[in-house]
Amino acid sequence: MPPARFAEILRLLAAHDVEFVVVGMTAGILHGAPVTTVDLDVVHRRTRENVVRLLEVLAELDAVYRHDPRRLRPGESHLIGPGHQLLATTHGDLDCLGTIDQDRGYEDLLGQTVELSLAGGLAIRVLSLPALIEAKERAGRPKDLAALPVLKATLDEMQRRP
Amino acid sequence: MGVAPRDDTPAAPDIDENGVDRAQIRVMLALTPEERLRRIEEFVESALEIRELNASRALR
Repeated sequence: MPPARFAEILRLLAAHDVEFVVVGMTAGILHGAPVTTVDLDVVHRRTRENVVRLLEVLAELDAVYRHDPRRLRPGESHLIGPGHQLLATTHGDLDCLGTIDQDRGYEDLLGQTVELSLAGGLAIRVLSLPALIEAKERAGRPKDLAALPVLKATLDEMQRRP
Repeated sequence: MGVAPRDDTPAAPDIDENGVDRAQIRVMLALTPEERLRRIEEFVESALEIRELNASRALR
């Protein structure tokens, strides 16, 4: 398994002007939650232009479907749809999600995101911590519920900061 | 001249009512978003390394 280089994946996506929102536990980590994850989840904008830019990055990362031994590569028809593309890349596992949380796509999430900066002046959009907590509560799976105390405590600590 | 006694008592952990270590959160909040991500990457890398090293060992 290749080493996880999530920051580099985000940098590549931003440098190629891909429109996306970081969701899942990586969003929690970016906000400061001391949690861990082995994959990076992003919800991408499903326009043809954006999917073409995303495919350029995925080709650079040698992305293939990680649960298929045939090393199949994602195509435009996969990424334009609402489904989840679970990929293995040279920089770690990357999930490109058409929708999350009751069929919400990029445009639906945009109002609940914050912009965070990466070194070098690149900016990425990340699901806000309150929105992430709400999504985890709605999902209600054991793994989501298990993360809630840490996410909520992180939000509380953020709100206490001057 | 007297020497002030050294306080060797470690700082108490700051665990809240849900078992969450608040001090750990404050350490993370003091980092930039990219530094937070790098910290997790290092952890994942170490964990995977140990897993791969032990992958061929039979369970006892």
